[in-house]
Amino acid sequence: MIRKIISGNEAVALGVKLARVGVTGIYPITPQTTIIEKLAEMRAKGEIETEILRVESEHSAMAATFGAALGGVRAFTATASQGLLYMHEMVWWVAGSRVPVVMVVGTRAVGAPWNIWNEHTDFTSERDSGWIMAFASNPQEALDLTLQAFRISEDERVFLPMMVGMDGFILSHTKTNVLIPDQDQVDDFLPPRRQPYVIDPEDPIGMGNIFPPEGYMRLRESIDSALRNSEDVIKEIGREYNKKINPLGDYSTLNVSYKLEDADYAVVLMGAWAGDAMEAVDTLREKGIKIGMLRIRYLRPWSEKEIRSALKDKKAVLALDRSTSFGRGGGPLYVEIKSTISDVVPQIKGVVSGLGGVTVNKSDLVYIFNKFVEGLKDDVIWYYPKEVGKIELRTPRDIE
Amino acid sequence: MSLLEYQYFPVTRPNKGAGGKTGAWRIVKPVVDYNKCIGCKACFMFCPESTIIPSNGKVRVDYEYCKGCGVCANVCPVKAISMVSEQ
Ligand code: SF4
Ligand code: SF4
Repeated sequence: MIRKIISGNEAVALGVKLARVGVTGIYPITPQTTIIEKLAEMRAKGEIETEILRVESEHSAMAATFGAALGGVRAFTATASQGLLYMHEMVWWVAGSRVPVVMVVGTRAVGAPWNIWNEHTDFTSERDSGWIMAFASNPQEALDLTLQAFRISEDERVFLPMMVGMDGFILSHTKTNVLIPDQDQVDDFLPPRRQPYVIDPEDPIGMGNIFPPEGYMRLRESIDSALRNSEDVIKEIGREYNKKINPLGDYSTLNVSYKLEDADYAVVLMGAWAGDAMEAVDTLREKGIKIGMLRIRYLRPWSEKEIRSALKDKKAVLALDRSTSFGRGGGPLYVEIKSTISDVVPQIKGVVSGLGGVTVNKSDLVYIFNKFVEGLKDDVIWYYPKEVGKIELRTPRDIE
Repeated sequence: MSLLEYQYFPVTRPNKGAGGKTGAWRIVKPVVDYNKCIGCKACFMFCPESTIIPSNGKVRVDYEYCKGCGVCANVCPVKAISMVSEQ
């Protein structure tokens, strides 16, 4: 095991190498591009044997990865933003086919208008597609979750694809200290690929052929059961990962609590800003405010049990979304949290911020958390950090 | 692999002539030239009616179900299949 200063994207590429991925379908899109560049570089140097399929779009990238996986090979792809949206159809085909595949999403805003910066809406908008969905909060976790994703996805109790989200630029391009496991450690943790069926000319099968209504519905129910049952699988594999690979990371739970036990107030969020949020929690704690944080690491399966027990005795809960759910006021986390704990927590508020790369730092979070503890009038607010200031938007009348 | 009871997969087995036996309406049929056939099984994989059957390293056509669509002739990399008039 060695330590190296690398970016989130490099960490993911190393994870793909260590997982002995057989085929990667690749297409570049910011901020994910350097993952596939790194893979191509390693392939050119002969460090990996992964077959790299260069395709003409993200739709094809997922189709190629899917095809390889159906052939029985461990397969990987990565994407972001418009690319994930373009892939959307194939994302459903993979889940509906119950085939293990791993994808990393370097999250980014979706157009229009064009914006290449970080936001979680591309990721969260896939939450009903039947994939297992984890979200990293630092490059180390991006690597760890990528490695675990292959195990989870290929477990016979699961057999579903898994995506790992990672904040575009904030994690994908920022270099930090990452613990990189040795190949034999990973080989010990990750056995050869297993899947329920393989496309084989000697014993031909058809995949996703036309299904009668009842058969189709039964298949839908099986996806739901597999996704719900994956909760125990994730914890079990997480514990094994702690033991065999990274004793410093704690993967025995789906979500991560920070100073929650004795807290009166709790904030819920997902992704990289958890680091700033922990510092903001500390600042409020110094002033005697009992506040804690719950970081959602798995958007799917949504661990109702874990989340309810973590938040049940709180006076108020604030869901912080870096994504939108238009027409609903708050973001997806706000909606999910509300539906999970509204009978046990009297006050649930939502804040939408950080969209399209808007920087939300520790002092902004201190400000938001203070306002929340004092009591927010509105259920959901859209928060613009002070430095964003007033933006002049032009209307058609101005242009005339 | 022992699978749990809730696991259910969208898998089907190819079945020859899903539309039933071919009547007298077929106008051309595929004929395999065994001197050219290299046994690659491309025709078998692409036949939409599953009426190509791998046999002895080469392939055989089940004419009772073959619809005469010509897909096999088109995918054969060595042009071993020709579509011959039924007359
Ligand atoms: S002509 Fe069509 S149906 Fe007949 S064997 Fe060839 S591909 Fe199959
Ligand atoms: S595609 Fe042509 S060469 Fe290949 S098995 Fe069929 S007839 Fe033979």
